[in-house]
Amino acid sequence: MLRRSSCPRAFALALLFVALSAAEALAHCFVGPRFFPATLATDDPCVADEMSLPTVAWSKTGDMPPATEWDISVELSKRITEDLGISIGDTWSNIHQPGGFTQAGFSNLETTLQYQLLKDGPHELALLLGLIVDWGGTGAVDSGLATPWSTLTPTFYFGKGFGDLPDSFGWVRAFAITGQIGYQFPTRSFDVVQNAFIPQVLAYGGSIQYSMPYLKSEIHDYQLPDFINHLFPIVEAQFETPVANNFGNSPITTGTINPGVIWVGTYFQVGAEAVIPVNQASGTGVGFLGQLHFYLDDMFPTTIGRPLLGGSSAPPQQLKF
Amino acid sequence: MRKFVIPSLLFAAFGIIAAHAHAFLDHASPLVGSSVASAPREVSLTFTQNLEAAFSSVQVMDANGARVDQGKAQISGNTMRVGLKSLPPGTYRVRWQALSVDTHKTEGSFTFHVGGP
Repeated sequence: MLRRSSCPRAFALALLFVALSAAEALAHCFVGPRFFPATLATDDPCVADEMSLPTVAWSKTGDMPPATEWDISVELSKRITEDLGISIGDTWSNIHQPGGFTQAGFSNLETTLQYQLLKDGPHELALLLGLIVDWGGTGAVDSGLATPWSTLTPTFYFGKGFGDLPDSFGWVRAFAITGQIGYQFPTRSFDVVQNAFIPQVLAYGGSIQYSMPYLKSEIHDYQLPDFINHLFPIVEAQFETPVANNFGNSPITTGTINPGVIWVGTYFQVGAEAVIPVNQASGTGVGFLGQLHFYLDDMFPTTIGRPLLGGSSAPPQQLKF
Repeated sequence: MRKFVIPSLLFAAFGIIAAHAHAFLDHASPLVGSSVASAPREVSLTFTQNLEAAFSSVQVMDANGARVDQGKAQISGNTMRVGLKSLPPGTYRVRWQALSVDTHKTEGSFTFHVGGP
């Protein structure tokens, strides 16, 4: 989904980094005692100052015979205020056909504006609204890796930890789920080159994840090796279903189920997932998805890790019990 | 490739990464979720980052929610300690809030049991 552009993109990236302001640094996805790591295939339910550099995916397409596809993505997420954030990202793809023909180039540039609706600490619940814009014509349209039209996808995200279950649930309380659902509108309804309708698509997915850090610090410290205590075993799933303006196209739902694991450190996390297509139209065989993800708010707490505007510049309230 | 170079250069331009971050609970005494045969005299929490003493706190409560900690919490570096009253057998909950020295806030709670398993 991440796409391409040129000079304006570089300028936008530079602006995001340079425009600094004073504000309290909180960020990445903490909701009460729960930490939601950045998920690889879907999005976590928080605005944040983070950067994925890179996300690498390898898969075989659903074509017969299948082509081999590499995708390398970059995404930068930046808070504008405490509750408003923007992400900008792009993907370079290389698709090698069995006959030797190769397509390579950038997808369209993708931006996401997000607003944090809710962070309910006691219930470990986070809600987020977003608008994903895939900017048409900013990628390798001639190579078929990008479209000349844009798409708009209003998206709702949520995250829920189960730490508020009674203590008797024990280790089960370390589970959490995240999810997102969006409706994708293309800015054109018909592709004259392909002579096909451009469908409106329901894009949805989520994750179920188990937090070893939560198990250790909130439920029971089994004194496991430190490496184990930083792990989040996870299963992600993502799907797309054409729901309108799909005359003459396949109505089939495509998607993948991605079991994997995320290791969370102080300043970055590393994730790896297998990518299992749900049907032939979604791919062939098992692919791979890996990501190195940086927490800018922890790496640069006094500069680019803060919101660009506002936030709470006043000292925090002293805790009283 | 330019798109990969630009963020990397900006990254480098900001120079040295500050040695601060969110303060996670690294370990506790008594251990999180543990059962101890005899009542501890204090609760000690060790975090992954140094704490801002004025804005970090800990409280310990019995099963009825009554406070059983006593005295002011002692905070030094990445460790927070608080004394306990004489604890009869039972289950106790420790609640903590931490502000690391770069103002990142974290919070959590856990239980321990006095009187054996």
